[in-house]
Amino acid sequence: MEQFEILRQLGLVVLGATVCLLAARLVRVPAIMAYIVAGLVLGPVTGLLGSTESLEQFSELGIALLLFLVGLELSLESIRGVGRSALVAGIGQVVFTAALGFGASLLLGFEPAAAALFALAVTFSSTVVVVKLLDQRGDLGRLYGRIAVGVLLVQDLVVVLVLTLLTGLGTAGGAAAAEAPVPLPDDGGTGRGVVESLGRAFAGMTVLGAVAFAAARWVLPRPFGWLARSLEAFFIWSLTWCFLFIIAAEALGLSVEIGAFIAGVSLAQLPYNHELRRRVQPLVNFFIAVFFVTLGIHMELGAAADYWLAAIVLSAIVLLGKPLALMTILPRLGYSERTSFLSSITLGQISEFSFIVGALGLAAGLLDDGVLSLIGVVGIVTIAVSSYLVTYNDRVYDAIARTGVLRWFGAETGPERSEPGPPRGHVVVVGLNALGRRLLRAFLERGEQVVVIDTDPSKLEGLPATIILGNATDEAVLAEANVAEAKLLVSALQIEDANALLAYRCHALGVPVSIHAFDPALIGDLEEIGVDHLIVSKHDGIRQVAAELRRAGVTA
Amino acid sequence: MQGLALLLAGAAIAYAVAHWLDLPAVPLLLLTGLGFAALGIVPAELLETSLVLGATLLLFATGIELNPRRSRAQRRIALRVGTIQFVLLAAAGFVAAVALGFGRLEAVYLALALTASSTLVVIRLLQRRGQLFEPFARLAVGVLLLQDLLVLLLIPVVTKLPEGIGAALIGLAATLALIALAFALHRWASTRILRARDSETTLLIVLATLFVFIGISDALGLPLVTGAFLGGVALSRFPVNAAVRTQLASIGDFFSALFYVTLGALIGVPSGAVVLQAVVLAALVVLLTPPLVTIIAERSGFSGRPAIEAGLLLAQTSEISLVVGLYGLIAGQIGDDVFRVIALVTLITMVLTPFVTSDRIVWRLMRSHPLRARATARIPSSGHIVLLGSGTTGMPLLETLLATGQEVVVVDDDPVVIDRLLEADVPCIRGDASDLEVLRRANADRARIISSTIRRPRDNRRLLEFARGVTVLVRVFDERDAGWIRELGGVPVVYSEAAAEEMLKWFDNVFTPVAARRES
Repeated sequence: MEQFEILRQLGLVVLGATVCLLAARLVRVPAIMAYIVAGLVLGPVTGLLGSTESLEQFSELGIALLLFLVGLELSLESIRGVGRSALVAGIGQVVFTAALGFGASLLLGFEPAAAALFALAVTFSSTVVVVKLLDQRGDLGRLYGRIAVGVLLVQDLVVVLVLTLLTGLGTAGGAAAAEAPVPLPDDGGTGRGVVESLGRAFAGMTVLGAVAFAAARWVLPRPFGWLARSLEAFFIWSLTWCFLFIIAAEALGLSVEIGAFIAGVSLAQLPYNHELRRRVQPLVNFFIAVFFVTLGIHMELGAAADYWLAAIVLSAIVLLGKPLALMTILPRLGYSERTSFLSSITLGQISEFSFIVGALGLAAGLLDDGVLSLIGVVGIVTIAVSSYLVTYNDRVYDAIARTGVLRWFGAETGPERSEPGPPRGHVVVVGLNALGRRLLRAFLERGEQVVVIDTDPSKLEGLPATIILGNATDEAVLAEANVAEAKLLVSALQIEDANALLAYRCHALGVPVSIHAFDPALIGDLEEIGVDHLIVSKHDGIRQVAAELRRAGVTA
Repeated sequence: MQGLALLLAGAAIAYAVAHWLDLPAVPLLLLTGLGFAALGIVPAELLETSLVLGATLLLFATGIELNPRRSRAQRRIALRVGTIQFVLLAAAGFVAAVALGFGRLEAVYLALALTASSTLVVIRLLQRRGQLFEPFARLAVGVLLLQDLLVLLLIPVVTKLPEGIGAALIGLAATLALIALAFALHRWASTRILRARDSETTLLIVLATLFVFIGISDALGLPLVTGAFLGGVALSRFPVNAAVRTQLASIGDFFSALFYVTLGALIGVPSGAVVLQAVVLAALVVLLTPPLVTIIAERSGFSGRPAIEAGLLLAQTSEISLVVGLYGLIAGQIGDDVFRVIALVTLITMVLTPFVTSDRIVWRLMRSHPLRARATARIPSSGHIVLLGSGTTGMPLLETLLATGQEVVVVDDDPVVIDRLLEADVPCIRGDASDLEVLRRANADRARIISSTIRRPRDNRRLLEFARGVTVLVRVFDERDAGWIRELGGVPVVYSEAAAEEMLKWFDNVFTPVAARRES
């Protein structure tokens, strides 16, 4: 039954990814590397899987959803804060790296046309890789994270222009575009001027952005507020919104990423974006895993051995030259040494677009197979190294700053704004219903340090406690509340699953936990997990009834 | 991307209408798909992918729900009700299908499709009405689990039937082997998932489990649906299932939205004959299931209202029926029209469910029901204490009252509670505490005190109006409900306060309060 071919492919991808991921966790390899290795094993090494249309579609969905998620993380203020810097740094970096790449390729003996393609290939950084890494560290909201994402979006705009031009240039470009993992804008007519396409791209961006902004302001709040109580409805509406923008972006000759990103930003202005992010995250995790495995499947490394010198030089340009460019520009824009450094090393890898550029070059007869493998090797090396650099970036900074080389860049090294340390020895209250509110009040009266978690922003407003908006079963939320060092977690929730997971997690962490067994039928299950205290509210209620009866003189 | 956007936009509209009209989403998603087919805009993109992945994830999710704990208290009754209902409805469905002119194998498929009720619809309905923990809900959930299990065990048998009995038996044996594997994992390995360091790893392990089971079932020559379902069963252990659900929810929502719309588009616009057949079979489900379940539930000790409610709740066919139909279609064992009939029956019965289970219908049936309440002979006439629906929770209170020589009447609809009271010879009425007839029978208007643990505000209002002049203690969770209870002359007992106090007692005991530490 060939209908089930998709299950076989996805099954292999998921199994490969899981096995590699579990193995990778043992030796602290970042997830991205694990996925790419899984792809290499499934594709080029064993030949179990070729790249197929369905997998391409899934990859494409993964990129779109990831950017949607990035958009959801950003509020307008935070973009406005780094917008100008991102533009300056992004363009400066693109020009510098492209020039460096071009020069180095000429010196290595490539034809000028091929050198130009290499220059393009090393210039752009991978949005997907960077965002995934930053997200894993929870750093998308930090200043350096926002700068890095800003620069990436500027690069994306440049990429759109370049691809528009290249598809026009390549004689058989169309065919290559169809095989590429990322769709190309389909209106790359031959001979269109740079100025014109630049204008079109910016006009498109402006139109989309304006529509998104206006919608977020005047149109969306009502229907989304109305739907907020129905989880699936809300989720599907948000995804539809995302895909409408993707289609609009494609129609305007922009990339899928930009459309999804703008859709995300507009929804981020609504009060429900926390819940939405929580819902989109697993979907992104799944599709992005498929994306990276597919990327691995694509790579052909066979003929790269002949070009080892070029591979080393180009990798060095990406890993050192690109951060160097940014490290020169960012301090001039007023950022501190640490922030500049962290933003800079974040962008030290090549992008999925580099492979498209390579494919186009091959189709146009400018490159041969071996050269394409060269780009593949540079990709693997730089993505691998940069995923380590980003994962351990604070330590890398400390190590390098100690040597004093960073002083050459003349950035301010003043003490960073110290972020408040995580709470310790506190009480975590989950769920602000009638019970949660009472408990919160009582704990505050007792002089306890309290952290409150709830999904409803309106319940959390103006509380005299540390508040965390989000779902308490999320590891990220529990980590933010520093549950591991809490003296007690109390859940007042009347949600069976959430309570069970909280009980289990706290028990595993050895943190005392008290759970609301809102129905006596749940007592057995919760006791089995191991809780320190159960709030059996209905029993307490009956005791209160008995007390009332006593007061009424019924019983002695 | 256009096709995908179109499917999603269709789903978005269906969800909005479902939200607006308070209907289950599945039939509306199917209708949207039908609409697409009628307009001739069936997106080819992702068609197979969404069908195959949608069905797989749906069954996987069903397997994850297969947690017998929820119905533990009513397990034995659920087993009896479920088995009898399954067998009788299947028989009736088979006969009706043959009478409508379908072939043997087609009739078997139709019968199988009719027997399963929708876990999705029922649990959503119970959750929204806040009734998931009431005895009749536990009964219904227990029956649902049994139906899913039976249908999915029978699929491999049915698909192998044309190859002869031997093949069917081999299929059954292979299924049992896979079940054994699922339960072994369930028991010994599944909690390891909770040790995964982050949600990404959890998600991948969960999906890998799904695909391993699909792979094995394929190797054993079993339908993939069986593998997907049993993969879910392997992860259904509490609290693993909670973690799995959290990770899988949005992926499931995404693909099931695509699945139902695509399925609707695949059905296309049905002919008049198909619609007629579907209406007949839908009528069979809606008219036969409630009395069947009600009668067996009452025989097993349930009182009128919960038995009726359980019966009405189960009167629809399931998303599993759609998968059964789809599987038969792909395997070439049933034709397009049989598949259409199955889909339409599901569509009709699911749309009807919210209406069929509405309070109005329940009351109308209650009124014409001869055995709506059963009581012990001896009911005190006045000056007594009436305990309304406190179930097992109320037992300690009851004991205190009896020990001090009070006259008490207990009204409850949980058969397990009533059995115990009858044994102890406590005056009790088995019936619904919101039924005025029952309240009259308990002489509630002449009681000294009434204690109500009824949850529904409307029922409490009715009680307060009925028993004016009697002290009525009304147990509520939220202090914000205290106002209207006082206005109607009742005494609110806000049990979140009581619970908080109890919790704090424990807290002060275990953790020396900071303030005290400062003083010392």
